[in-house]
Amino acid sequence: MALLRRRQHALTAVYALGALDTAAEVARFERHLAGCQGCTSEVHGFRETATRLGMAVSREPPPALRAAVMGEVARTSQLPATDDGARYRRPVPRRTLLPRLAVAGAAVGVAAAIALGVVLVNTQNQLDQTQQQLGQARRQLATTKTQLAAINAVRTAADATLVAKATTIGGTVTVVKSASMHEIVVTTHGLPPPRAGKVYQLWLIGTNGNKIRSQGLLGTARSGRTGPVLVSGVLPGDIFGITVEPAGGTVQPTVAPIVAIAA
Amino acid sequence: MRASEPELPRPESADRHLDGLLARVGRGDQAAFEAVYDNLAGPVYGLILRVVRDPAQSEEVSQEVLLEVWRTAARFDPARGRAATWVMTIAHRRAVDRVRSAAAATAREQRTAEVPVPHDAVADTVEASLDAERVRRCLDGLTEHQRESITLAYYGGYSYRQVGERLGTALSTIKTRIRDGLIRMRDCLGVS
Repeated sequence: MALLRRRQHALTAVYALGALDTAAEVARFERHLAGCQGCTSEVHGFRETATRLGMAVSREPPPALRAAVMGEVARTSQLPATDDGARYRRPVPRRTLLPRLAVAGAAVGVAAAIALGVVLVNTQNQLDQTQQQLGQARRQLATTKTQLAAINAVRTAADATLVAKATTIGGTVTVVKSASMHEIVVTTHGLPPPRAGKVYQLWLIGTNGNKIRSQGLLGTARSGRTGPVLVSGVLPGDIFGITVEPAGGTVQPTVAPIVAIAA
Repeated sequence: MRASEPELPRPESADRHLDGLLARVGRGDQAAFEAVYDNLAGPVYGLILRVVRDPAQSEEVSQEVLLEVWRTAARFDPARGRAATWVMTIAHRRAVDRVRSAAAATAREQRTAEVPVPHDAVADTVEASLDAERVRRCLDGLTEHQRESITLAYYGGYSYRQVGERLGTALSTIKTRIRDGLIRMRDCLGVS
């Protein structure tokens, strides 16, 4: 027992460098750590040392990263302080957009509302069309899936799968899915820049009665590349799509997607 | 060796400031998160790039890390270390997760073979900051074996077992080298 303890104690530096071999080894060490005051302060100092090593290789991140992260943050809720949230709960971050929308909604006059109704009918037609094309896309995807296995071998993450698809207007959209996290990561390559007054808008298109949810706008391309954009809250049966919309985006897609991929 | 170096005061107040910011992030403060981003996105991206090597993947992992910081900020406990350490530990873990799988390791070896990483990779990527310069000098103060083991483990993302296999050295020796080297680094950097 004493020998085992000593052996665990010798691992403080390895642990602090994140260099233990397996998750089981980490778990075993952390059990030891919980009851070992000396180890805790030693790990503390070693972690701090490792941090200095990390800070020393600081690099200017790609400019697109900031916008991508902030966009995600704006629509990602936070976890409570503890796993069970028993200690204390924080309020869910406010969605500041909603009250503003409500005010805007109240300000819309009757005439405008009628006009909006016409637009919505048109949108509905286009939506049906969109759904049809998505059905097609799904069938295509079935064949794409066999290629997935091969792409997977190249791709790194353990539980991630990757789909790359050409859009109808050129360029490729790549989606990496993580089934366990209900999230997908989207990148695009060689997508033509949107025409003046237009933007690319991202959607999760629900099947099984789930709605179409806007996932925001695609950022400006950097060397022909956008993303990676993290799309959260993916439901079973969802399809990821991109449409070309007027600047600022729309509540529902108004045209057929240039690409649709099962999320 | 330390005697010859002027004792640079750690920017404790900056650290405290960052701790305070992260606490505010934990309460859902997006402006505070932007400030944390501006302080730590560079170190996060730099470390991940150093481990993962592929810029596109590094950007992806950085985004995951920074989002995890946002999501889990309420779990940051200043009593257990400073904010930068908490964030950099997450960054390193995620980078290592990305490269440890067998397929990833193979792909990375491939990239390493294609794009030779200079032997003194640390010096190569070190920014001209005093802290970074100091880290470099402290690394220089290690024995060759210690430096090699620590560099492979931390910057290379290899487990100590993998380090042992790569160097053809017994596991217990690697463990000792990492420990002795890290103690020397800690003392050289003046970490309390």
